[in-house]
Amino acid sequence: MTRLVVLLRQRIRRDRLQLALWIVGTALLAYASITAVYDTYGEEQDRREILGVAIATRTILVFRGTPNGVDDGAFAFFLLFAWLALMGGLMSTFLAVRHTRAEEEQGRAESIAATPAGRILPTTATVVHGVLANVALGLLIALALIANGLDATGSFVWGAAIMVSGIAFLAFGLFAAQLFRTSRGANGISVAFVLAAYLLRGIGDAAGTPSDDLLQVTPAWPSWLSPIGYGQFTGAFVENDLTPLLIPLAFAAALIALVFGLQAVRDQGASLIAGRAGRATAGPVLSSSFGLVWRLNTSILLSWTAGAVATGLLATSLSSVVDQAATDAPQVLETLRRAIGSEASIEEAFVAVFYGIVGVLAACCAIQVGIRARQEEAHGTAELVLGTPVPRVRWLLEYWIVGTIVIVIVLAAAALAGIAGAGSASDPESLIPNVFEAAAAQLPACLVFLGLTLLVFAFLPRATIPVGWTAVGVAAILGTWGPILQFPEWLVDLSPFAHSPVPAGGETDWTGGFWMLAIGLAAGAAAVWSMRRRELASGG
Amino acid sequence: MTTVISTRGLQKHFGRTIALDGLDLTVESGEIHGFLGPNGAGKTTTLRILLGLARASGGEATIFGRDPWTEAADLHRRIAYVPGDVSIWPNLTGGEAIDLLSRLRGGTTDKAAYRKQKERLCQVFQFDPRKKGRAYSKGNRQKVALIAAFATPAELYLLDEPTSGIDPLMEQMFNREIDQIAGDGSTVLLSSHILSEVEELCDRVSIIRAGRTVESGTLAELRHLTRTEIAFVHDPAREAAVTAIPDTHDLVIDSGRVRFTVDSDRVAGVLPELARLEVRGLTVAPPSLEDLFLRHYGDELAPVEVEVRA
Ligand SMILES: Nc1ncnc2c1ncn2[C@@H]1O[C@H](COP(=O)(O)OP(=O)(O)OP(=O)(O)O)[C@@H](O)[C@H]1O
Ligand SMILES: [Mg+2]
Repeated sequence: MTRLVVLLRQRIRRDRLQLALWIVGTALLAYASITAVYDTYGEEQDRREILGVAIATRTILVFRGTPNGVDDGAFAFFLLFAWLALMGGLMSTFLAVRHTRAEEEQGRAESIAATPAGRILPTTATVVHGVLANVALGLLIALALIANGLDATGSFVWGAAIMVSGIAFLAFGLFAAQLFRTSRGANGISVAFVLAAYLLRGIGDAAGTPSDDLLQVTPAWPSWLSPIGYGQFTGAFVENDLTPLLIPLAFAAALIALVFGLQAVRDQGASLIAGRAGRATAGPVLSSSFGLVWRLNTSILLSWTAGAVATGLLATSLSSVVDQAATDAPQVLETLRRAIGSEASIEEAFVAVFYGIVGVLAACCAIQVGIRARQEEAHGTAELVLGTPVPRVRWLLEYWIVGTIVIVIVLAAAALAGIAGAGSASDPESLIPNVFEAAAAQLPACLVFLGLTLLVFAFLPRATIPVGWTAVGVAAILGTWGPILQFPEWLVDLSPFAHSPVPAGGETDWTGGFWMLAIGLAAGAAAVWSMRRRELASGG
Repeated sequence: MTTVISTRGLQKHFGRTIALDGLDLTVESGEIHGFLGPNGAGKTTTLRILLGLARASGGEATIFGRDPWTEAADLHRRIAYVPGDVSIWPNLTGGEAIDLLSRLRGGTTDKAAYRKQKERLCQVFQFDPRKKGRAYSKGNRQKVALIAAFATPAELYLLDEPTSGIDPLMEQMFNREIDQIAGDGSTVLLSSHILSEVEELCDRVSIIRAGRTVESGTLAELRHLTRTEIAFVHDPAREAAVTAIPDTHDLVIDSGRVRFTVDSDRVAGVLPELARLEVRGLTVAPPSLEDLFLRHYGDELAPVEVEVRA
């Protein structure tokens, strides 16, 4: 017991700053968002309208939750719960992998396994540590809700639902850590699981059955596959029913039991998914440094393309639903027009919003290609390549070219998916050019991010990774939420995404696009050219 | 004979750290040149400058008479490089990495010959090319770079502590490969702090410390600077005669055995004395570069570690 306490204390000490930021940050987010919700949707009439729009268009439900009436608590639950559960899920899986597979990978776990603490006890300590973190998160969120004047019972049900879904994700993270040899692999599959859980419940909500007054939805079966879905079934503030939480709890218990079983039988450092024997000779792709850059980025490209295809499909397939709603209930159409802006038709506005998301995905993919250049340099493999007759300038130029190619592929894949999804629309022919234009309109902003990342790589190599991700994160928030949250215009204008052309009403203003194209190309060219004078900056 | 590598007063600063402080190095064509120095002496930095991966802050460096910084890619057609700390791609197998590097060096035009050579080297170094990069140990990562370097002929080999991760048996194999490329007339610059390795392989040696060349010459020349250790069984009755032997240093008479050192170029003068004393159990240990090393740095090793000049 005392050994367990020692291990637990070591985990808490190591994580205290990180977890404090994560837990307090999430609770603060809950507090601030609810305040904002009451400011924006103070009147019951506003809420009725937005719920009506959301239920009519369905897509909004994917990114929100299950509509359950217009009362203060229930409305906040609808808007925020899934987001908070997503945050808690990521916190839990990262925590699980950090204290298990990552430790093992670095050989630290070995020195503990050799002590009387053994192999099982550290896992036990990680389970307890993760559960405590989730209890703290649930409690703090409940308190944040109560501080906003919400009913205490409902607040605690909400907190409990966050806690339980977090514990289910914790269990999955521990399980993934058993399966994979590297913490990178375990984290990757865990993040995918959390996102899938979020999306499944989103699809469940979007495909659910609305009530006649358009204020409630009964989710469809996909929600039954997601811990976050079960959290929503509690119906906090209305039904206040804790029994649905038993299922994710049972899931977590079974998975954790399995983890202990696996931990007992496998070797230290080994994994269940063993590395296969690979090929002894290189294929034709690995015949040039360009081929290497391409090969190093294919898995990145595949994952972002998958996201873009899903988004593109949603954009047009849902537009048929929009159309349906517009004919069935003209007042919904009115509401939508008011919410989106008058010029664009509903379908166009829909496509514009969704291909804006595709643009962010393509930009992320391009940034990751730039970051790969830095990783090659820091890891030392760039030194191997540059020790052969590959000039420095050409080396970075190839990253620039591959970065541009991946942007085009991601956008093109999204456009094709959009066309495939347009089949059910009332007027697919008119939608197709619109989809293509909306996808192409994202290219300039993506090139700006690629150019920026390479420029940072050239002049401040050690800052490449943080600057790249921060830039796209901030720009995405400013560009997509800025106009809705009514940030000052100059702030929104800082985001390249805000300047992407919006095809609407048959006429598109490409001025912003051309400017960004010029900026992006100039930045990339400057970065590549600077390699003439740049040394290799390895390490750090 | 032509000069392959030449540096004059080479300087390299990293912020306030002075890594190279006027390094002179000359390597002639066909030579196997040992490049010796303690940790942090500047060996890796020198090699990286010679390869155009880093730029000199001052002084000059040429390879084949050309500038390694501005003409890097061209020069690399003639150079094979093995870094000191080899990293390979975690997602590529060892075999893929070897093929890639060889193809980049343009060494696979004769496919059949290349394949044969690669297979031979994998066998010689007992290397399994089918594993993913992340699964290799340090020694096996080193083998990837070594096999890629030896699989394609080069005029100049720059090897940064090439055997630091591999076991003694593999080191033997490495020495054999070096003998072979030396036989083909290639030039080798081999950095190391494993002195026995340098002794076994190299024709000439340069010793550096704190970014400066402190000694350079053939092994025979450098041996003049070392002492040979002589030991034999001692007959207590003749202690006076032992102490009378000229030119001895560090004399120790200890429980039946005598030990002392003699400047290596004076050994011949001492031998008749030993014959006259009719010593038994005589051992004469040839000087190692270890001694040379310790004589050069022995009293200075401590400050070397912390030496950071403004
Ligand atoms: N990128 C860098 N930034 C700052 N200092 C550096 C950098 N690279 C090398 N140095 C410093 O330059 C000096 C020489 O380093 P170098 O790596 O060339 O030594 P070395 O002789 O190869 O040592 P070792 O035998 O340990 O490999 C050291 O003091 C080192 O700390
Ligand atoms: Mg070194």
